[in-house]
Amino acid sequence: MPIGPFGIDPTIWAVLRLVIAVGLAVFLALNGALAQIFLERKIQAVMQDRIGPYHTGPFGLLQTFADAIKLLSKEDIRAKLTDAPFFLAAPAIVFSPMLASFVVLPFGPDFVAANLNVGLLYLTTLGSMTVLGVVIAGWASNNKYSLMGGLRSAGQLISYEVPQILALVTVVLYVGSLSMVDITNSQPGPLVNVLILPFAFVTYLIAALAETNRNPFDLPEAESELVAGFLTEYSGMRWGIFFVAEYGEVTVVSAIMATLWFGGWHGPGVDAVPILGVLWFTLKTYAFVLLFMWIRATLPRLRIDQLMGFCWKVLIPLALFNILASAVIILAFADPRVPLAVVNWLLLATLIIGLPFTQRRRLLRFRSRTRDSVGLRDARSGLSP
Amino acid sequence: MFDFLEPFFFGLFALGIIGAGAAVVTLRRITAQALLMALTFACMAGMFLLLGAETIALFQVLIYVGAITILILFGVMFTKVDDRAYGLFFQQQTPWAAAVVLVIAVPVAFLALSFHDPATPSAKGGDLIPLAASLFTDYSFPFEVASVLLLAALVGAIVLVKRDDQ
Repeated sequence: MPIGPFGIDPTIWAVLRLVIAVGLAVFLALNGALAQIFLERKIQAVMQDRIGPYHTGPFGLLQTFADAIKLLSKEDIRAKLTDAPFFLAAPAIVFSPMLASFVVLPFGPDFVAANLNVGLLYLTTLGSMTVLGVVIAGWASNNKYSLMGGLRSAGQLISYEVPQILALVTVVLYVGSLSMVDITNSQPGPLVNVLILPFAFVTYLIAALAETNRNPFDLPEAESELVAGFLTEYSGMRWGIFFVAEYGEVTVVSAIMATLWFGGWHGPGVDAVPILGVLWFTLKTYAFVLLFMWIRATLPRLRIDQLMGFCWKVLIPLALFNILASAVIILAFADPRVPLAVVNWLLLATLIIGLPFTQRRRLLRFRSRTRDSVGLRDARSGLSP
Repeated sequence: MFDFLEPFFFGLFALGIIGAGAAVVTLRRITAQALLMALTFACMAGMFLLLGAETIALFQVLIYVGAITILILFGVMFTKVDDRAYGLFFQQQTPWAAAVVLVIAVPVAFLALSFHDPATPSAKGGDLIPLAASLFTDYSFPFEVASVLLLAALVGAIVLVKRDDQ
């Protein structure tokens, strides 16, 4: 009889491994959400010159646990005219793809549940499935605000999926593999992908913000205009599940960014002590989680037309050009790193420097139009000289 | 030891495809139809997975569940919720529908029954590189034709929604 790891029969180990992986994913998703809610409150409090939660436990650490218990023990309220099966299914449809994403994340050397050779495609696929749940939630709530939230979500997620995938394709072209483990292994040194492909990284960062419904792209649940969008009719733990899923997705896209552009679990001392890789991976992932919180505390929400215009008129053309240029360079040069970096940094500079110019031109155009109409009105009423 | 798993999952997916497909046709609630269609697509992806074609399975989910179903739901959201008899239009055409189904189903059934030896799924089904190579060499013409079609649809959509004041 063949002996697998820990002296367990390999066929049983295969099943056991899966059970452990799913258990760990549930553990990470739930506790990650608790930790991130606490972090978010504290960080936003610091940025807005408040104290944040401080009463429950030391530094308010137990506040999120108390909130979780409150959510769990809340009465399960369902409005009478909601579409029952869909209303109940929507949180699950949002939650399960997020949970499944954790399976392919490379936490450390040989510390990955499933090394799929199409791992990145798998993550993209699962990311595109959450929108189904949001749309269904918006529809099943039988509420105008929820429906608007669902519609916005569908439009926004479908639009931003395009630049997101285009950004991923650039990295895949450069590395030559879709496997998360191969991508990590391809950047062992200090020369991580972000130095070579910064524009792809920024594109992905913006698209990921939109994909996870975070500020400044949280239009599906815009409190100031849509009450709470697709979440309006939800309360208690169903509402909580949506939030756990959102924080889980933030973790997953942060982990993708850490793996694809920042070397994943690579870091000082990993060769000697492999378990350090988990620490580096977690640190890198949470750096992006904190970046998302920083952005949320800083930027105001966009308007829906600005959101769509930015995606279709700015991000997608630039990302398409980036793919074309990257593919040509990778084919043309034996060592494509330097020309790739030049093109990518130039594109990033174009994006950053070009945006204020186009915005200024638009602003001037709007102003002149307003002046004309005001001038006409004044002329008609005989006010202007 | 786990030999029963593959037939079990095949049965599960087959049941899902046929059951959800039948429900899509017979049900009256359009949201339920859209969601069950997503389930049919997902079960198809499961079939591809059983055949060892992981890439195709993932593309199936990405495009059909993630994009096409969302587009259909997007359209559904602009319709009314109440149970109106929108099915009447199609119900008058039952004999025609039956004839069309027969014309398609009979050859398919013959084709399905003509297989005796099950083809062994190749282990390379999940590999992207042979897939990409064949797409850009042997099948480059259909690929380009499809892309031209999509481009025409894209241009058409832009023309349709173009604002007059710009």
